[in-house]
Amino acid sequence: MAEMLHSDPTPGPGRACLLALTLLLAGACSEERAEVAAIGSGLSLVETLGGADTVGYARADTARDFDFPRDHGPHPDFRTEWWYVTGNVSADDGRAYGFQFTIFRSALSPDAGEAESAWATNQAYMGHLALTDVEAERFRAEERFARGVPWLAGAEATPFRVYLEDWSLAAVDPGAGTAPFPMRLSGEIDGARLDLTMEAGKPLVLQGEQGLSQKGPEPGNASYYYAHTRMPTAGWLVVESDSVAVEGLAWLDREWSTSALSPGQVGWDWFALQLDDGWEMMVYQLRREDGSADALSDGVLIDPTGQRVPLEWGRDVEVTVTEEWASPVDGVLYPAGWRIRVPDRGWDLAVTPVIADQELRLAFRYWEGAVRVVGQGEAGVEVEGRGYVELTGYAEAGR
Amino acid sequence: MTPTGPSIALIDVDKSYAEGGRTHAVLTGASLTIAPGERVAVLGPSGSGKSTLLNLVSGIDLPDAGTVRVDDIDLGGLDERSRTQFRRDRVGFVFQFFNLIPTLTVRENLALPLELKGEDPGDRIGELLAQVGLADRADSFPDRLSGGEQQRVAVARALVHRPGLILADEPTGNLDVDTGGVVVDLLERLVADAGATLVVVTHSASLAERMDRTVRVDRGQLVST
Amino acid sequence: MRLLTRSSVRYWLGHRLQTALSILGVALGVAVVLSIDMAIDASREGFRISAETVAGRATHTLTRASGDVPDRWLGVVRRDLGVRLSAPIVEGYARSDLVSGRTLRVLGVDPLSEGPFRSYLASAVNDRGMGRFVSDPFAVYVSSVLADGAGLTVGSDLPVTAAGRSWILTVAGIIDPIDDLQRSGLADVLLMDIAGAQDLLGSVGVLTRIDLRLDDGVEPTLDRAIAAGLLTADASLDPIGTRSETLSGMIGAFDVNLTALSLLALVFGMFLIYNAVTFSVVQRRSLFGRLRAVGVTRGEVVRLILREAAVVGVVGALVGIGLGVLLSRGLVGMVSRTINDLYFAVSVRGVEVDPLLLLKAASLGVGATLVAALPPALEAGGANPRLAALRSEIEVRARQWVPRIAAGGLGAAALGGLVLTVPTRSLIVSFTGLFLIITGLALATPGGTLVVVRLARPALTALLGVEGTMAARGVGASLSRTGPAIAALVVAVSVTVGLGVMIDSFRGSLTRWLDGTLQADIYVSLPGATPSRAAGTLWPSIVEDFTAHPAVVGHSTYRGQRRVEGGDVYDLVALDLDPRGEAAFAFLPGSEPDALSRFRAGDAVIVSEPYAYRRGLDVGASVRISGEHAGVDVPIAGVFRDYGSEQGTVMMGRVLYDRLHSDRGITSLGLFLVQGADSEAVVTELLRSVPEDRSVIVRTNDTLRSASLEVFERTFRVTAVLRLLAFIVAFVGVLGALAALQLERGRELGLLRATGMTPGQLWRGVVAQTGLLGLAAGVLSIPMGLALSWVMVYVVNKRSFGWTLDMRVAPDILLQAVVLAVVAAVLAGLGPARTMAKTRPAVALRGE
Repeated sequence: MAEMLHSDPTPGPGRACLLALTLLLAGACSEERAEVAAIGSGLSLVETLGGADTVGYARADTARDFDFPRDHGPHPDFRTEWWYVTGNVSADDGRAYGFQFTIFRSALSPDAGEAESAWATNQAYMGHLALTDVEAERFRAEERFARGVPWLAGAEATPFRVYLEDWSLAAVDPGAGTAPFPMRLSGEIDGARLDLTMEAGKPLVLQGEQGLSQKGPEPGNASYYYAHTRMPTAGWLVVESDSVAVEGLAWLDREWSTSALSPGQVGWDWFALQLDDGWEMMVYQLRREDGSADALSDGVLIDPTGQRVPLEWGRDVEVTVTEEWASPVDGVLYPAGWRIRVPDRGWDLAVTPVIADQELRLAFRYWEGAVRVVGQGEAGVEVEGRGYVELTGYAEAGR
Repeated sequence: MTPTGPSIALIDVDKSYAEGGRTHAVLTGASLTIAPGERVAVLGPSGSGKSTLLNLVSGIDLPDAGTVRVDDIDLGGLDERSRTQFRRDRVGFVFQFFNLIPTLTVRENLALPLELKGEDPGDRIGELLAQVGLADRADSFPDRLSGGEQQRVAVARALVHRPGLILADEPTGNLDVDTGGVVVDLLERLVADAGATLVVVTHSASLAERMDRTVRVDRGQLVST
Repeated sequence: MRLLTRSSVRYWLGHRLQTALSILGVALGVAVVLSIDMAIDASREGFRISAETVAGRATHTLTRASGDVPDRWLGVVRRDLGVRLSAPIVEGYARSDLVSGRTLRVLGVDPLSEGPFRSYLASAVNDRGMGRFVSDPFAVYVSSVLADGAGLTVGSDLPVTAAGRSWILTVAGIIDPIDDLQRSGLADVLLMDIAGAQDLLGSVGVLTRIDLRLDDGVEPTLDRAIAAGLLTADASLDPIGTRSETLSGMIGAFDVNLTALSLLALVFGMFLIYNAVTFSVVQRRSLFGRLRAVGVTRGEVVRLILREAAVVGVVGALVGIGLGVLLSRGLVGMVSRTINDLYFAVSVRGVEVDPLLLLKAASLGVGATLVAALPPALEAGGANPRLAALRSEIEVRARQWVPRIAAGGLGAAALGGLVLTVPTRSLIVSFTGLFLIITGLALATPGGTLVVVRLARPALTALLGVEGTMAARGVGASLSRTGPAIAALVVAVSVTVGLGVMIDSFRGSLTRWLDGTLQADIYVSLPGATPSRAAGTLWPSIVEDFTAHPAVVGHSTYRGQRRVEGGDVYDLVALDLDPRGEAAFAFLPGSEPDALSRFRAGDAVIVSEPYAYRRGLDVGASVRISGEHAGVDVPIAGVFRDYGSEQGTVMMGRVLYDRLHSDRGITSLGLFLVQGADSEAVVTELLRSVPEDRSVIVRTNDTLRSASLEVFERTFRVTAVLRLLAFIVAFVGVLGALAALQLERGRELGLLRATGMTPGQLWRGVVAQTGLLGLAAGVLSIPMGLALSWVMVYVVNKRSFGWTLDMRVAPDILLQAVVLAVVAAVLAGLGPARTMAKTRPAVALRGE
């Protein structure tokens, strides 16, 4: 999903993050959803922060010499940043699970306040953790917020560690020095615990122009962006005190920016698909207020060696909705089945959610869920796969 | 009108009072019978027990020994409340002083016995006041009336609730001869109209002469003359 | 009984003065009781509401008995205890010149943790102010109540001092309270970011507490986290309110004392009512006789009187409620000031009119009226319709009763004395005993009066001739009327004596104690929320500078903490005592001879007398002191005199404290100067070395001493007001009794005038009579006052506050009492005397 920011000024989860933090500041939280709607004044701040108020922050205005492992860590001068992991794993007996683990970092102001207190920080963190239990048809999702103080939340490059209370994504061996991999993801959510270890798999991919993902015509209206699109993952899930050994694939998106919201756009549909033949596909479609797809929608294919194959929107790739699903909250319709084609290369994939209800009903409401893929892949060869889809801008509370 | 007043019987009545640590015997074995509708004057020196006799007959006081009976009612057998009830229904009082409630008007003073008895005054008060010649003073307070007028109101009040027994304690003692005469005339006339039994304590021989009989209190005994 | 009612209404209307005095009696009694009730209630409410508003929807708090909670414990709560709904709180006090006279409550919060707790934060936030919460830690949010009062708007500067430093805060947002509770709860709150609050309050790195919301009510146990070293052993998780309830409980004794004093006013009111009703009955004796003759029953007469009393009671209660509400507005300031001085910071903005309190006060008033009216009512009901009851006979009978009543009264007083010997710390029992004594002695006053009058008669006769004799006889002859009035006056004056002696004894004990305790020449502390309490710890650099001053030859350091543990509140003091300061401790008998050296070595603690008394502990017993890592049981080596804290103080050597805590702070410092140094000059020099933005309170021995005495005097201001009110009620009582007497004696006086007595003679006679009443009251009130003061000094004070005072009786207090009583009586008698003297004989004689 992060890739869409490559060419569009609307920050994806970044917007979610800011919005949620705003609501939180305004006294709302996941538990006081009623208040969320009540506090409309908070939204104007989103516009303020998201729009003009980029003064004082660092901007993604030039190509960057990425410096790893340092860039695995936080970039507090930028307003928004995230570590976004999604993946599909399954047990020996075939039970399948999807998970989403996201930690957003947000600078609430350009500078930290000047006080001796360690609480004097402008850094805030928001976490989303979701687990899809396919067989049990159960979806769990939770959010957390915390200030960037060492005992609550933070991010460090060396040794690599991003955490929010007991949710963490960290190098397995802190003594190993530079490499974040193998990387351990752990967290607890509503009676389930995730403890997964991820290898790098393919080398990281710099998205956009050498990692500078331009979003608008103006210089600086862009983000820095890289991804690990196929991370072999193994570990344990403890679901209702039932320990399950699982393995599968995960996908990491890393992005930081000080971007501006764009008027006219209401949301996006984002696809990250991992196919059995070693290819990955990332496609997103930005939706405008009138329901049309924005011209800045885009896509990319990654070949088994990790090379990027950019797709040109409107010519190379075609997305059709085949199915819809109504949210039990208010009947809002989400797309719930797709046909995605790249005709020139013979791709024709049917994408289906593993379960219908994977809506995150949090301060920021959206649908993000595990999907199954069947169809023809590179050169029209029959292929299967798994992936994640994110749908935003459908539900009221998410706007 | 035929007599409706009760008969009264005192039988071997003893009564004494404690005074400054000494006991002062007032009545000793006194007996007296009064017929229904009879009018009796009680004479005797001061402190001889005339007022005590009235208190006993009205149930205000109880004898130390002996029986006081009004019609068939043995007052000694009644409790305090019933004796009060008895007074309320059947006795009319006229005193020498302090007859009227100073905080009530003439009309209200007359209404009080009726209210206590639970009777509707109707025209009764107006009629009575007219009979005692004070119809125009109905709304005055007692202290605006002369002594004679006050006693006339007292007579009216004693009769307003149609008691069978009228007790008067020196009703003219505080009045000059002429005024006293008017009050006694009134009392006599109204009692006669009602057919009530009347007991008057008095020092006045002329008043006593006007009664059916005179009883003298003499050394603790009641002697009819 | 329409006519009967009408009759009594006309009677009371015809005796307006009598009616007014009865109503006034009830009203004053009700007013005093109500106002004290309301003032205390308002203080408690202020404290509770601010505690509740600040607590928001928290269900539990995590605190630490021995100090502040480290920042990182919040992580432990969320991660290891698994309590997600938790919020760090930094709380403290500040003062601002813009909000003079009130203490501001600084509430530092983390907005990201606040959602589930305090919804009013939401209303603080608007699109202008919100971003500043984090970017400007010194931005504050204030309620519109505070903003309006101090003339603040968004963007205003708000200068404050906190923990000895001056700051300029900026108003970033105004909170509009959504209800009255919030309005008063937030009235003095400065809501700010936790970062700024930590800096402001000088508590960087530590929290006051962590609020938790355990919606399922399941309390996590801390043991594992303590065992793992994540929390220290003195961590404590309590349901919300436990702490504030414990603190609020501190004012219990204070409350009972004031309430008892206010009840006294009601008792005086009862005297007044008794007096008025009795008089009305006596006056209408013949009327009731006539009514009984006409056929009104005894019960009807009793009910008639009680109905009259009930009307007086209800009207009096209504007037009293009005007066009480007014009075409470004046009293609440004094009461809350005292609570601030002695117990805890509380801000009371106004007095809420609680219908329940009004009802309580009104029922007390009406009830007291009915009780007071019952004896005369029964007497009226018993009025024999024989009309015989002559005045002299009543008096004769009254005088027959005098010895019996006096004997009964003395019996009651003895019973009261017996009740006081019951070994208990219950104040209710103590005050019951005290009231029994007061009532008993009051009952004995008519008898006492007769004795005094008999003794005074020859002198009066010699002095005033026949008027003197008449006055003396007059007192004796009208005892059934004047008795209650004298009793009320005696009680009022003796309460004045008792309280005077008690306060005087207290002051004396306190002065001697201060003389002994204040050994150092100069005392240094940080300015606190209230002038009498220090807050925060001194900067080490200042301690260094000060102790290095050439004139300073030694110093003691003092680390004070108020500890709230398991429902108990006490003050813990870690003392590093200079040998020069050792004389500060006056140990009670039974203390170990080497108490101080064991205390220094950290082998034992010493505790204050209230501490030991309230907990029933003695030398040799051990106290549990929690420390950072583990608690210790330390024996008590000595009990010292102390009037500083009624909760009690545990003092330990700094050595022991340092073993238990990593805290190295000092709350105050005592400096000893070289012989002959000028303390004032040294103070000036020391103050000069303090950086400009910091403030330290440096006081000489004398200044601190007088400041302490000032707090003392302030504490007793409420008492003084109550004493005055009680006295006014008694005064009105005497006035009423004499006025009634005048009415009753009109005929007699008219006769006297008619037989040739001049108005002057008459006047002198009446004044002599009232003066004699006053003299009797004054003389009688001395033994009674001394008895009361003895009880208050040795029983009530000990049981209320745990300390022993040395009783001291200043003769001038006793003399004042007599003068007071005579003057009050004569003043009360002047008006009626004048009226009587002016009476034209004809009018008086005409009568009824």
